[in-house]
Amino acid sequence: MSKRIGSFAVNGKKRDTIIEPHMLLVDVIRDSLGLTGTKRACASGNCGACTVLADGQPVCSCLTLAVCSQDKALETVEGLRAADGTLHPLQQAFIEHCAAQCGYCTAGMLMTSKALLDANPRPSREDVKRALSGNICRCTGYVKIIDAVLDAAQKINAAREVAA
Amino acid sequence: MNDFAYVGKPMTKPDIYGKVTGEAKYTDDLVIPGMVEGRILCSPIAHARIKRIDTSKARALPGVLCVLTHEDCPKSRFSRSTMAEALPEFAFTGERQDQYILTDKVRYVGDWVAAVAAEDIYTAERALELIEVEYEPLAMVLDPFEALKPGAHVVHEDCPNNVAFEMDHPFNCGDVDKAFAEAIAVAEFSGVSSRQKHLHLETDIAIAAFESDGRLVIHSPSQGPHLAKKHLTKRVFPDLEDGDIRWISPAIGGGFGARLALGVEPAAVLLARACRRPVRVTTTREEDFQGYSSRTDQHQAIRVAADKDGKLLAIEQIIVADSGAYLSHSATTATVNMQKTLGVLKCDNIRGHLTVAYTNTPTTSGFRGYGNAEGAFVFQQALDRLAEKLGMDPMELRLRNLKVPGDPSCFVPVPLAHTKLEECIHLAADKIGWKDKWLGWDAKKEGRYKRGIGMSILTHASGAGGFLLEHSSCVMKVLTDGSLNLIVAPCEMGQGILGALAQVAAESTGLKYELIRISTGDTDVTMFDIGSHASRSMLVIGNAVAAAGVKINEQIRERAVSLFEEHQIRLTKDDIQVKAGQITSPKAPGISIDVGRVAYAAIYDFGSGGSQLNASGSYQSTSHHPNHQAAFAEVEVDTETGMVTVLNYVSAHDIGRAINPLLVEAQMQGSLVQGIGFALTEDFVIDPETGNVLSDSLLTYRLPTTMDVPEMEHLLIEDPLDDGPFGAKGCGEAGLVNPAAAIANAVYDAVGIRVHSLPLAADKVLWALRHGEDIAPGRSAVSGQYL
Repeated sequence: MSKRIGSFAVNGKKRDTIIEPHMLLVDVIRDSLGLTGTKRACASGNCGACTVLADGQPVCSCLTLAVCSQDKALETVEGLRAADGTLHPLQQAFIEHCAAQCGYCTAGMLMTSKALLDANPRPSREDVKRALSGNICRCTGYVKIIDAVLDAAQKINAAREVAA
Repeated sequence: MNDFAYVGKPMTKPDIYGKVTGEAKYTDDLVIPGMVEGRILCSPIAHARIKRIDTSKARALPGVLCVLTHEDCPKSRFSRSTMAEALPEFAFTGERQDQYILTDKVRYVGDWVAAVAAEDIYTAERALELIEVEYEPLAMVLDPFEALKPGAHVVHEDCPNNVAFEMDHPFNCGDVDKAFAEAIAVAEFSGVSSRQKHLHLETDIAIAAFESDGRLVIHSPSQGPHLAKKHLTKRVFPDLEDGDIRWISPAIGGGFGARLALGVEPAAVLLARACRRPVRVTTTREEDFQGYSSRTDQHQAIRVAADKDGKLLAIEQIIVADSGAYLSHSATTATVNMQKTLGVLKCDNIRGHLTVAYTNTPTTSGFRGYGNAEGAFVFQQALDRLAEKLGMDPMELRLRNLKVPGDPSCFVPVPLAHTKLEECIHLAADKIGWKDKWLGWDAKKEGRYKRGIGMSILTHASGAGGFLLEHSSCVMKVLTDGSLNLIVAPCEMGQGILGALAQVAAESTGLKYELIRISTGDTDVTMFDIGSHASRSMLVIGNAVAAAGVKINEQIRERAVSLFEEHQIRLTKDDIQVKAGQITSPKAPGISIDVGRVAYAAIYDFGSGGSQLNASGSYQSTSHHPNHQAAFAEVEVDTETGMVTVLNYVSAHDIGRAINPLLVEAQMQGSLVQGIGFALTEDFVIDPETGNVLSDSLLTYRLPTTMDVPEMEHLLIEDPLDDGPFGAKGCGEAGLVNPAAAIANAVYDAVGIRVHSLPLAADKVLWALRHGEDIAPGRSAVSGQYL
């Protein structure tokens, strides 16, 4: 059991903290780095609540050893907002559609959705359902979450077209 | 049309911002300085006496602060259900306080044996492994019917027949035998509801910390912290008084009824006392599956009789409910089953009986729908069978037996005051196309994939006035900018009650919705209230808020008179209106004054009239205000695999008034998908050899995912209830009652089989398709036909 300094690139910032070989990424993110928006819910990779992005890919941080994540660009829910505090279109759409109830799955839903929209800016409803099928929500019945993701995709695309 | 500023509009609920940014703080996100980690050692066997516990190795581990066993516990017994503190003494004579925090005789796999506190979680885990326990195994009983047989192994020594609770049907009336004898048609259905897990994503957790003055502060996701506090002091730690505890419910990661029972709080308090440090006790998902929170499995047989016109002549309902190892919400949910399930229709001859049995299985509890979902699954299928025998449209049978205002209510001995169930049935039936899609009892379906349609109706609570301690109070104060601090008691589990109450507050005070700030969840701050359950918050707490709101509104109007005088306009307070933060009068066109001016002037009064605008409001519900719902489901059954898919679901809800239709829809959608899980996939399995829970992960216990969501439509019938805040009734629980029943009736319409146990899993449906239900083997029996 050797303690060492671990270096993480989280939400575009370099963060150093003491880690041990057995530590999980979710525990380092929450307990060492204080980013408690990411949730522990099943600790076995079955519910998706702990989803963060590693080099743009959604991963279950409860199944990932912290030591293996040091060379990856990590994104958590706290990094979704723009630098000026503006909410990400996904966050805005979740608010408008009332797509969060208890909120425990929400960070995972948002991060999985972001990975989807980054890779597939114009997803069909079926695409969204498939992308989110590994994220469990016990409260909403999913409808408003799916609606919100599709709405956000549309708004992101519209903004891109205006910019172009 | 009304001219409300906010009521009836899809306002954004205030708690959602923290949830999408990750800033909302749940119990697991809190850090108390000096806090250490607590863990609980759970029994690996179902029934045993503990001969010896050696904690010396665990205590010797560096970083371990204390290791506690049954010898360190208060010698007072408690129930995980806190409901005893919300009931009058006489109302629930069967209440049993039957467990200690840590036990010297384990009664289920998962029962609490020891607790440790350590400097970090890894050390706490290691310490659990170092505790040596020598068990003397005892013969176990896992099945409630076995438990009730003479000579069965005894779960509790002071309960030799394993009967945790029993009662006759609260509706017992008429001459049931005579009515059955005279009936033209008699039908029966028997079935068992499953132990659906709440599966709140936030697992059970609590932090207990003693302050320097000896006062205890608890942080935990309780649905009713005032009630839990009373229960904890009265039953678990009798040396503590009500005022010795401050209980704070932070953001709650899902409740669904589970948080209405005590979780790990008693263990956290015990450890914090022993090691004189703040202690956080956490649990794993596996422990949650093995632990003390699920729906109660209720084995039921319901017999119904009708005359040739379809008039319901008699109902008989027999329930055997499985309490598990200890009595929590199983007796109360089964009691509510009897009242709500049969209370939806009119019948003059009713008989029944309830028995709640102890077994060596995890303690069962109360879950959204609270007995009604369990009962509807059986009763609504019995009604369909009756309609089939009469050759009658099942919708028509229900319509002919609906209660009308003035008929007995289903809960307390007062007449039913308000129902729109008939309108609900017609609205939902038209929307789904019942007339075209239901093709009669003899309809033949061809092909591998067979489609069917089914229905179910319900009545459910808006609080339990006249039965539980149904009152609530709130406090309001207006700040100099015209914003409002609302101090009020509901627990926000995600249902959106804070948003709905903010709308009631804004509407009744006349202040701006965006400037309503709510303080809740802290028993030192909020007034006594029995918590968020039974769809009571909107009606009971909403009325308390409205009562305070009209006082604030009056204070603003009184003080605004002088402001109009500045414009040389003489008005009385009755000429003045306050709405969305602006003060106006039809007698003073063109003048609009911001309420902030009044609020500021009230505080910054250096003369004699200074006082912050403030008010309190209280409400006690003494009557029963049921909401109603009719639902229709369309399913497709794959006859090769037995897989049932819900294609479409339409419900109509008698809600009085929707304070926020978006939040209501959110509740309906969420409860429907929980109901689809209850109906089709969520299967709680106990190993008959060991008593161990086999479905102990999200891989083996299947929750609905995005791929299981059908087309759905939730319609509202809005006819304001006189007693409701702006006419509102409750709605959160009801949506989980109809799905399993409607889906089961639709499966019968599709393939002509009825499965007698939930869920209607593919293997059971396939078995029934292959063998026919008449030869389906029994698991345990009320009428010998379980699958």
